[in-house]
Amino acid sequence: MRLGVKSSISTIIAAGCAAVFLSMLPAAAQNAAPRLPKMSDGKPNLTGLWQALGTADWDIQDHSAAAGPFFQMGAIGAIPPGQGIVEGGEIPYKPAALEQKKKNFASRFKDDPEVKCYMPGVPRAAYLPFPFQIIQSQKDILFAYEYATTNRLINMGKPQEAATDTWMGTSNGHWDKDTLVVDVTGFNGNAWFDRAGDFASDGLHVVERYSLIDANTMNYEATIEDPATFTRPWKINVILYRHREKDARLLEFKCVEFAEQLLYGDLVRKPGK
Amino acid sequence: MNRRIFLWMALTAVLPAMAQTGSQPASKSAPSASGIKTPWGDPDIQGTWTSDDTWGVPFERPKQFGTRATLTEDELKDRAKNIQRNEEFVESGGENHSPAKAQLDAKEKGEAAPAAPQGRFGRGVDAAPVPGHWGEFARRPSPQSSQVVDPPDGRLPPLTPEAQTKLDAKNKLRREPIPGSYVNWSDYDRCITRGVAGSILPVIYGNGMEIVQTPGYVAMRYEMVHDVRIVPTDGRPHLNSNIRSYMGDAVGHWEGKTLVVETTNLLGDTLAVGVNGDGGAPYSEDMKLTERFTRVSPNTINYQLTVNDPKTYTAPWTVAFPITQEPGYKLFEYACHEGNMAMHNMLSAARMDDKKAAAGQK
Repeated sequence: MRLGVKSSISTIIAAGCAAVFLSMLPAAAQNAAPRLPKMSDGKPNLTGLWQALGTADWDIQDHSAAAGPFFQMGAIGAIPPGQGIVEGGEIPYKPAALEQKKKNFASRFKDDPEVKCYMPGVPRAAYLPFPFQIIQSQKDILFAYEYATTNRLINMGKPQEAATDTWMGTSNGHWDKDTLVVDVTGFNGNAWFDRAGDFASDGLHVVERYSLIDANTMNYEATIEDPATFTRPWKINVILYRHREKDARLLEFKCVEFAEQLLYGDLVRKPGK
Repeated sequence: MNRRIFLWMALTAVLPAMAQTGSQPASKSAPSASGIKTPWGDPDIQGTWTSDDTWGVPFERPKQFGTRATLTEDELKDRAKNIQRNEEFVESGGENHSPAKAQLDAKEKGEAAPAAPQGRFGRGVDAAPVPGHWGEFARRPSPQSSQVVDPPDGRLPPLTPEAQTKLDAKNKLRREPIPGSYVNWSDYDRCITRGVAGSILPVIYGNGMEIVQTPGYVAMRYEMVHDVRIVPTDGRPHLNSNIRSYMGDAVGHWEGKTLVVETTNLLGDTLAVGVNGDGGAPYSEDMKLTERFTRVSPNTINYQLTVNDPKTYTAPWTVAFPITQEPGYKLFEYACHEGNMAMHNMLSAARMDDKKAAAGQK
């Protein structure tokens, strides 16, 4: 049922998608000066159920359609084509990191943390094919992702250093005019950027920028910096759409039990033994 | 903190009855709390809260208390002493509460093995449940004789025959001498979830939760197993009953300064309303939970949970205890499944046991 609702809205939005990309870039948005939802302190209110369209989770770079790993899944298991979200098209890997990415790609249906129901990390959480809920208080801001019940709290107070390395990092936020800027550090280096094996080390530093284009559309930009992996900082850009279906809400996708047979199956007692 | 302790379930089932620690008076109302409002006018219950103060209070009331819900002054003093002792133990380094390790260390030094402290740590357990600095404990003694406050004797109502059968089947599965599969373990051991009640009932660590509000929503985030609940307070109805989940569908409303949260649409026959979501009989999919959060002082919320599941319990019942804000207490990312090497290791050991057993039969 959920899939049905989401795919039907996807179809509607997809039709206007190209037009949105062209017309809603920041300069155009400023001219349009749309009315944005606000908190009582005058900050934009980002509260809502958001989701990216497109295929960035398959591969954040430009990619053609391809067969999936399991012929049994037929067309529904195939990989859809997509235009990348990386500014300039290419990820500036260092040579050794590029080799690692290629290895990751080769073993992606086994080693992608998403296959195992591990936390997605940042920025991947923003463009997973699942919605996420923002709850914006007068202070801190909660991001609750449907996938794997991942969540993180954006500290809007005095910036705090990461106490320990984590999957989702430590998030310190502030407002740059009407843009929510989230500085994320303290990663453990285990998360990937997509199902194509793009990755970073535990030295990853992500600066996210969330800017409402209008009440129901938000620009998401992330600057990715990791001197151990990349030759220079680089950016991704995604548009996030608000779920406007009546009564739409974050549902539960606790995927551990969908991955257990994959992870532990070889250690389960075989029937008859 | 992505580490797992597989003795957890057994320990947490046994320890609450043994360890006499406690929490502060549950209902002292401070007038200042009623003035705490969000900028949009809802009562403000936001912040980082912990149920630590009720750690050690028996879930069900020991029978000798009868219908007496609160401790005598002497009993309260004893509980305070236990808290003091735990604090001293942790502050003194407190790491070495594994009797096995203590004995090894002593042997190395040629000394007599030290006795493990009684109460919260040690006691017949051959491995450390958590290092001392991980352990959470009450900061003030609870006057409550049990977490269950209704029925008046503080004991759970009898199970229905159907629920008793389910409980027996679950216990059989958990106690199989050589586990065949991950399904022998609880949803908590498997890092799936502890459910609504299991996420707030106090255990030996990770009792923290965060509440974040915005107009129309209250969100709750629990450290353990990184669970989260989004509670709409805009009057919307529950989801269609075809959509079910471990944490259920929560809708809330404000009654004066109390947030009332009603949860339905639960997956049945999996979790229990008890310690870590596994203590007790598996509940049915018809269960309705009603929670009440009332901020009675800047640092205290009185929490109440009423369980209504006629297919499992022959009467509704209620647990109640305070949750508190404590200086310096914060949540960490609990990447439970990601670090669940325990499941791999336990299954691997079980398959070795299978091989040994097969060899023995030949």
